[in-house]
Amino acid sequence: MPDSDRPAQLLAGTLEMLVLKLLTLEPLHGWGLSLRLRDISRDVFDVNQGSLYPALQKMRRMGWIRAEWRPSENNRRARYYSITREGQKQLDAEVAVWERSSGAVNRVLRYALQGG
Amino acid sequence: MAWYHEVAASLGALAGRRREEREMSEEVRFHIEMETRRNIEAGLSEAEARRRAVRQFGGVERHKDGVRDERGTSWFYDGWNDVRFAARSLARRAGFTGVATITLALGIGASTTLFGVVKRVLLTPLPYGNPDGIAMVWSAWKGFDQTWLSYDEWEGWKARIPAFADIGLYFDGSVTFDGDAPERVRTATVHANIFPILGVTPALGRGFTAEEDRRGGPRVVILGAGLWQRRFGGDPSVVGRTIQISGQPTTVVGVMGPDFRLPLDFGASGRTEAWFPLATDAQQQGAVPGPDFPKNGASHGYYSVARLSPGATTTTANAQLRTLVAELEKFGYMANVNFHAYTVPISEQITGRVKPVLLVVFGAVVLVMLIACANVAGLLLVRGESRRRELAVRVALGAGSKRLMRLLIAESAVLASVGGAAGVALAALGARLLRANAPAALPRVAETTIDWGVLAFALGASICAALLAGVLPALQATQVAPAGDLKDGSRGATTGRARLRWRQSLVASEVALAVVLVVGAGLMIRSVRNLLAIDAGFRPDGVLTMRLSTPLTWYPDSTRVIAFWDELQRKVAVIPGVKRVGAVRLLPLATEMGDWGLTVQGYTPAPNQGTPGDWQIVTPGYFEAMGLTLREGRFFDARDDMAGSLALIVNRTFVERYMGGRSAIGNQVQINGSDSGKVYTVVGVVNDVHHNTLVTQVKPEFYATLAQFADQPGSTRRSMSLVVRTDGDPAQLVNPVRAAIMQLDKRLPISEVRTMRDIVNSAIAGPRFAMELLGLFGVLALVLSAIGIFGIVSQVVASRSHEFGIRAALGATPRELVALSLRTGVRQALVGLAAGVVIALVVTRAMTTMLQGVTPTDPLTFLGVVVVTGIVAIAASVGPARRAGKTDPARVLGSS
Repeated sequence: MPDSDRPAQLLAGTLEMLVLKLLTLEPLHGWGLSLRLRDISRDVFDVNQGSLYPALQKMRRMGWIRAEWRPSENNRRARYYSITREGQKQLDAEVAVWERSSGAVNRVLRYALQGG
Repeated sequence: MAWYHEVAASLGALAGRRREEREMSEEVRFHIEMETRRNIEAGLSEAEARRRAVRQFGGVERHKDGVRDERGTSWFYDGWNDVRFAARSLARRAGFTGVATITLALGIGASTTLFGVVKRVLLTPLPYGNPDGIAMVWSAWKGFDQTWLSYDEWEGWKARIPAFADIGLYFDGSVTFDGDAPERVRTATVHANIFPILGVTPALGRGFTAEEDRRGGPRVVILGAGLWQRRFGGDPSVVGRTIQISGQPTTVVGVMGPDFRLPLDFGASGRTEAWFPLATDAQQQGAVPGPDFPKNGASHGYYSVARLSPGATTTTANAQLRTLVAELEKFGYMANVNFHAYTVPISEQITGRVKPVLLVVFGAVVLVMLIACANVAGLLLVRGESRRRELAVRVALGAGSKRLMRLLIAESAVLASVGGAAGVALAALGARLLRANAPAALPRVAETTIDWGVLAFALGASICAALLAGVLPALQATQVAPAGDLKDGSRGATTGRARLRWRQSLVASEVALAVVLVVGAGLMIRSVRNLLAIDAGFRPDGVLTMRLSTPLTWYPDSTRVIAFWDELQRKVAVIPGVKRVGAVRLLPLATEMGDWGLTVQGYTPAPNQGTPGDWQIVTPGYFEAMGLTLREGRFFDARDDMAGSLALIVNRTFVERYMGGRSAIGNQVQINGSDSGKVYTVVGVVNDVHHNTLVTQVKPEFYATLAQFADQPGSTRRSMSLVVRTDGDPAQLVNPVRAAIMQLDKRLPISEVRTMRDIVNSAIAGPRFAMELLGLFGVLALVLSAIGIFGIVSQVVASRSHEFGIRAALGATPRELVALSLRTGVRQALVGLAAGVVIALVVTRAMTTMLQGVTPTDPLTFLGVVVVTGIVAIAASVGPARRAGKTDPARVLGSS
């Protein structure tokens, strides 16, 4: 089984960026977030779903996201997360860094593949 | 990132820990149920759906822990675990923990108590409105450095010193509150503006009006809170009522609050408890500085308090007074006596004399605290030594040095908190002892309390102690190299030379600090001994005194007063145990005495100088009762009654000053003023008595009898102190003497029941207080240092047992081994001694003003301290060193 079929290990910090990005669209609960992550990344990011929660806790502590208990779509009580202004700033910053570094990595890879 | 989000979130999480846990569980449960439902919808069986959901979640407890970590509260729970661990491991070593906690408790307790005193006396503002703007005003001239004002001076200063916004006068005295239990009460007669100048108002009723403070005004009184409680049961309706005071109907217009005292009521003489208006004499008004200003200033008999103008200081006031006095001198005012007038800030007046004493004692207690910390640091170092294996294992298992530091500091923090708590308890006890026993001569010391500020100090002291005692051992202990320590830790041999050196420096510094303290204590002991060795001129032991007044109402003339005293002395003289009895106007060392102008036959004073003599009125029997020494002639006796020829007894200085070379007996003396015209003949000469203080120069003094002396014709002294001498304990005589007085006249108030020994002791209360505290701290310091030395020698003996075993096997005698170990303790003591002596030579200078008859570098004291400390050091070393002599080579070498 080739390596590329295994769910990709998330790069450190990228999980936070993805969560923040998803939360700019609408407030979501933890399970909803994990579903979205799987759907959108076409199951590439099928990590341990539980590891989402420490990250959410950290982002709450940093003041990037806010949590509140609300009835869910099927009328259960669920904790919904939404992005704060602080979080929006953080997301912008992370996206900027990401674009710069991924661009650089892509250029290097392209150069290397062309055989130098 | 906004740091406050983090802090708020962490604190919130800390506070709502349980809720956080519940919500986290609910969130995880929700996730797994939703995932299970999704799997069922995808066509899995219910069991399989759930199994897969849980697997995909990936370790519920692990992720819960992850969430917990991210709450930002782990530092707290880790720290808490460290503390719990430290407490458990301390509890296992009760001996070590006990010594360390007691040491810290003593250090923290002593310094907290003393801080309480410093706070109360020096840091708490005086109970006046804006005390910084209040000053005492004094006059001074040759022989009188700080004395009363005359009425004319007050008028002059009031009109001509712009730095005074207001200035008032008062004098003190005493009255009798009549009734079933008559009571003599100290009083002051004050200008109506005294209360506004001090920025105080009565708690009940009102102050004096200008109308009341006028000659012939209504008789009114303001009561002190204590007197009001005592005599009127704190009844507010007493305001407005008319009561009998010394036989006069007097209306109560107000009651002062419990904290109120006049500026000079903080000292040994106690407080005034009732205040009357001065009711100015109209004829005294109108003396404005100028040619008409009375030349001699007349009677100087008033205390004076001023409120400074906004922006003015005592310095500006003093400059203005100098200018005005220079102007007055041109008109011949108080010529040739070097007259001057000056002000003293109220806080300096009240606490100025006790301040250096307190600062020195507080400095001493800080040294005790440092010694205590050094001692505990030493103990922790040893403990660190025996724990090297444990720490090495921790390091090997991956504990960082930060983690180790935290663990070890947690240990000293636990010690310091327990020590601090015990210290606060000790301080509460200390404050209670101080309140009960503080000498009245030390202002405000008896008001010491443990309040929030003092508790904050105790907390600060405990934190300092934790750091001082903990950081060095923690740093030492974290220098652990697992490989080396695990290896030779097993042999328990000669590792840690560097650590031993640290410990030795600690012990040497302890000894040095102890030397400084003991030198301070030694100097105070010598001072107090010198003070006690001063011949006061009388024999204070076995003398009981009490004050009695014979009011005008019941004793309208001199004859009845004299008859009362004669009869009383006869009655008291027959009480079993009484040797002699007499009476005197003013007790030595209990009161201040002024002087009186005289004309002495054959003595012509220098131009513009008088022939002053301190005046004392006595009854026959006083000299014998007080124990004065006769130099020449005779004491007073029954001859010297109202009908007898006028007789006078003078002191030695009187003879030297006014009768140089001639025999004093038979010389004639006139007392100027209203008594002038009478000619007294000197019948005896007695040794000098130190009246005002023990250390000032004695002035010429004369004694006349109560029967023959009247400062105004027909009148006589109303208040006298009864003086009773016994072979036994004077306190035993209090009740029999009281009974004798009651039998004679049960209406008479008795006050100020004291022994002469108490009076002498309170005259040297300041130095004595310093001596007792420094002595206590010195002993404490020596004990702590001894523990330190004991510890270091024990450690050396233990750590070199292997070496000693070899030496013993090679033929060293026990005596040689003991000497070898002794050397370690003694060497540290010597280093500490040398350093301590050098430090002491510098810092004892701060004590100069407190010392009497001994210099701050007194060689005898220093020698004594070196000897005492040396003996303590050797004594502390001997015990553990002797163990070295018992080294059994077979056992020691076999055990490795």
